[in-house]
Order: sequence, then C-alpha cells, then structure tokens
Amino acid sequence: MSSLDRKMDRILKREESGKGRRGIKNRTLRKIFANKLSIAGFVIFAGILFMCVCAPLFTQYSSTKVDLRSILQAPSASHIFGTDKIGRDIWARILYGGRVSIGVGFGSALIATVIGVSLGTICGYKGGWLDGVVMKLSEVLMAFPQMILVLILVTVTGQSLWNLILIFSVTGWPSMYRMARSQMLSIREEEYVQALKAFGIGSMRIAFVHMLPNAIGPIFVNVTLSTAMFILQEASLSFLGLGVPLEVATWGNILNVAQDLTILKDAPWIWLPTGIVVTLFVVSINFIGDGLRDATDPSQIG
Amino acid sequence: MATYTLRKVLSLIPMMLFISFLIYLGIELMPGDAVDFLIPPDALATMSAEQLNAMRESLGLNDPFLVRYLKWLGGLLQGEFGYSIQSGVPVATLMKNHLPATIELTVTALVFSSVFGVLFGVLSALKKGSLIDQVFSLIGMAGVAIPQFLLGLICINAFALHLNILPAGGRMASAGQSFVERLPYLLMPALVLGFSLTAGVMRYARSSMLDSMGRDYMKTARAKGIPEWRVNLLHGLRTALTPVVVLIGFRLPMLIGGAVVIEEVFQWPGIGSLFVNAVRSQNTPLVMMIGFFSVLLVLISSIIVDIVTAFLDPRIKLS
Repeated sequence: MSSLDRKMDRILKREESGKGRRGIKNRTLRKIFANKLSIAGFVIFAGILFMCVCAPLFTQYSSTKVDLRSILQAPSASHIFGTDKIGRDIWARILYGGRVSIGVGFGSALIATVIGVSLGTICGYKGGWLDGVVMKLSEVLMAFPQMILVLILVTVTGQSLWNLILIFSVTGWPSMYRMARSQMLSIREEEYVQALKAFGIGSMRIAFVHMLPNAIGPIFVNVTLSTAMFILQEASLSFLGLGVPLEVATWGNILNVAQDLTILKDAPWIWLPTGIVVTLFVVSINFIGDGLRDATDPSQIG
Repeated sequence: MATYTLRKVLSLIPMMLFISFLIYLGIELMPGDAVDFLIPPDALATMSAEQLNAMRESLGLNDPFLVRYLKWLGGLLQGEFGYSIQSGVPVATLMKNHLPATIELTVTALVFSSVFGVLFGVLSALKKGSLIDQVFSLIGMAGVAIPQFLLGLICINAFALHLNILPAGGRMASAGQSFVERLPYLLMPALVLGFSLTAGVMRYARSSMLDSMGRDYMKTARAKGIPEWRVNLLHGLRTALTPVVVLIGFRLPMLIGGAVVIEEVFQWPGIGSLFVNAVRSQNTPLVMMIGFFSVLLVLISSIIVDIVTAFLDPRIKLS
C-alpha cells in the first residue's frame, strides 16, 4: 500500500502546484512523453514524413524520369536503392511516392473524420429521424467487408487518385460516426449540458462548442489508426493494380512490380526497402495512436 | 432459442432488400444489358434493331425499373444470379467453381489463427510482463503493420524462389490431386493469411483474459481451493472467450471475400481472384453478385455470433 500512498502524495502535490486547465493539458502531454514506444513512433513518423515532404533535399533524381541506360541496377553510390525496370531511381520513388501515399492516407482519414464526427455530433445530440436514417446508412456500409466495398466502388467510379480518396472517405466515415455518436450520447447526460440548455444556448452551439471538445481524445486516436489503415489499403490496392493509376509513384505502385517473379527473386532492392518503409511508417503511426489512447484516457493514472 | 434465432433472421430481411436494391442499381448503371452478352458478338452484328428490340421486349428489359428489379429479385431467390459479361458463363457456375478453393484457404487460416491466437494470447496474459509476453506482443505488432501482400512476397521469395521447398503459387500441379498432394500449395498462403489474423485474435484474447483474471469470481474460485490451472482454464477462459468468439465470428465473412489480396499474391484460384479479375475487366454483374454474397455472409455470421455468444456467456439472457 505504501507505494500507492506515495503515488497519491505525488498526485496531490502536483495538483496543488498546477493551475486549472493548463494542468490537464500538461498531463496528457506528460503521459505521451512518458511512453517510450510512442516517442520512438513519433521520431520514425516525423523522420519519414520530413524526408518525403522535403524529398528534393534528399535525392537529386526525379520519381518519373526514365533512364534506359541504367535499368535494373543494384544499389550503388549513385543510386542508393538501385533502379527499376525502366531506370527510375528507387530512393526518389520511395520519397516522392511517400508524399502521395501519406497524403491519400491522411487526407482520407481527415475527410472521413470530418464527415463522421459532424454527423455523429449532430445525430448523437439531437437523435430523431435523421439519426435513424444515418444509422441505417452506416449499417449498410458496414455490412460489406471493407476490401470488397472498396473494390465495388472502384468498379463504379473508375480508377484515379481523387476517386480513391473519395472511396476511402465513403467507406471510412461510418466507424467515426458510431464513435462520435456514442461519445455524444454519454456526454449528453452530463449536468453542464443541462445547465447550458437552461441558459438558452443553441443546440448546435452546445453540441459543437461545448460537448465535442470532451470527445476529442478518441477522435484523435481514430484519425491516427484510420490513417494507418488507409495507407495499408492504398498499398494493397495499388499492388493489385486497382488503386492509384500506375504512372503516379506511390508506395503501392512501387511494390506493384514485385508481382513479376523474376523481379521478386533477382531485384529485391526494388520492393524490399519500400516494403520496410511502409511497415515502419504504419508501425510508428500505431505506436503514436496507442500512446494517444492511453494519454487521453482519464481512467489511467499518469 | 428458436424464437430468438427466428427474430434475428427476420430482422435481416429489410436490410437485405435495401442492399439488393443498391446492388441491382449498380448492375443497371453499367452500360449494356442482357441482350448484349446473351448473343454472341458475330450474331449480334447481323441482327436488326427491330429484332433486338423484340428480344428485349420478350426478356422484359423494356419494363419499368421497379418491375425489372422485382423480377431480378425473384430470379435471385430461385438461384438465377445473372451472367458474367466476359464469358457469358452464369455467375452461379463461376462462384461454385471458385468457392472450394477459397473455403479451403480461409478455413485453414481461420482455424490456425483462432487456435494460435487464443493460445498465445492466454499465455501472454498468464505470464504478463514476462519475456514470452513481450515477444508475443512484438509479433502481434508486426502482424498488424506488415501489409499481407508484402509478407506473402517475402515468403515466396524465401521459400519458393531461393530455397525451392514450396511452390510459388497456384493450388495444384495437375487436376485431381489429393488433398495431401496439394498441401504444399496450401501451406504458404494459409500461414501468411493466418499470421496477420493471429495478431488481432492474440491481442484480443490477452486483454480479455487479463480482464477476466481480475474478476471477483476468480478469487472466489481460488478461495474454494480449486487448483490454479482449473481456475484459469474453466473459470477464467470461459468468460474470456466470449469476446474472442465474437471477433472470430466477425471474420467468417472472410470465407468469401477477405482473402482477396492473398489469393492474388499466390495465384490461388478462389473467389478473391475471381473478384479482382472481375473488377479489373469491369465485369459489373460478377462484381456486384460477389459483393452481394459477401454482405449476406456478414449478416448471417453476425447472427451466428449473437447465438453463440448467448450460448457461451451464461449472463446473456435470450429474451
């Protein structure tokens, strides 16, 4: 018990020195920084993101420039990850491809979140027929296995970068909606919401300005996990040749050539480094997401 | 139990009707109709517009949209699933030919991942914080983050192309081989698919087992002097399994569509490959029908999950 007492003392001392709201904010940050895995995740994440965004600083090659004099070269000083079948530099393709892959993943997660959370906030607070309709719609979308639904929509809309973001957003919002809605349903019963209503504050203002910030933790966690999921899905779809059109460099499109068994066997430099980068990036996002979940969960002492 | 099941099944009907409507809409939106792929192209060239129109009339293609939908739905109930626009082969035949391969692959992966996921998860929970726990959680992390197809490529590269101990793809060397002869073909795709599924089950089983180990009834069981392994297995595991069964149940739909990517990587001739090829060639009727069946399977397995959960967990009442 003495260790528990000491912990309590520490928490009390901290609360006495802390100043209201700032203290809470610090606690979330402190909990994240105490989690070594999420720090490691953040370092890897930031590293890969920085190199992709500032790609021209790290490579002099272009991701699309064909050079038929240097095809299928193994890694060397001039091409550190070698070149592909038509002489494009793999390192440059990884960096520039990362821009598109991360952009598609993060962009889709963001759009899905904005749609899902807005609908969830409105429907969760107001209920009624709108909630019923949106709920049924989300049930219909969620009844499809994710990959099947994505591919059906690819058939209907055709293949393009923007269509892919659209498809991911359409398939991604229902889970966000469910999450935001259930958060709102539980927050709705809080006394401060009753008080705000009694003051005569508009319901949209109560829902978005006063209630939504209290649900922000799980929303952030969901954004990170969806980003990871969409990056993996983009890679899988492009690997199948059904994602982003082949002329655009993305992580999935680089891996696409590994369907050819001779490349798979004799030119591992084309697909293996790319695969490792994708995996590292997804792992790092997952670590950040796990750290965020623990940090924003008030039931866990930190 | 029977009324519970019946009520669950009946609750599916409006949902299925709505989804079937969406699916039909998808098929209708596509250019071309039944006449275009029922008649061979060379015959089509010689037929006049009147002849074609008469044929459309006789097939009921000129009816209002809602009538056509109801007719299509009636046909669906009698097992008429339409035709592939590429080959003119009935969708039902195509699915029947590809289903065994998919089931063979996915059932193996599902059994593998369920058995090992539960085993490893429970072991980690019992030895929480130990080396075993850490190794398993590392494997779990990898299983979630490595793209399935990448793991498949690495395995093909290592075991088929360099070590030459397993075939790189396909399901059999020649038709009519026995299951044992086909086993080397099955091994790699099933293990790769199983590996990424194991991670999820394992994490779930671990947290669920930890949760149930902290409960009061475990202390009661120990206080009664029941041996430790019996407490863990009979009292802890039983309640811990319920959420795990739910997770495994929600994976049943995979039996049709979840192995899409792995089937492509290993050239496995199942529903997944059929589906991907249909998407590639814009073969809308086939795409939509496979989509329809996968939804049907999702909804049926959610009912199965509800029933099995009610059966496993004595705290859930059937009424």
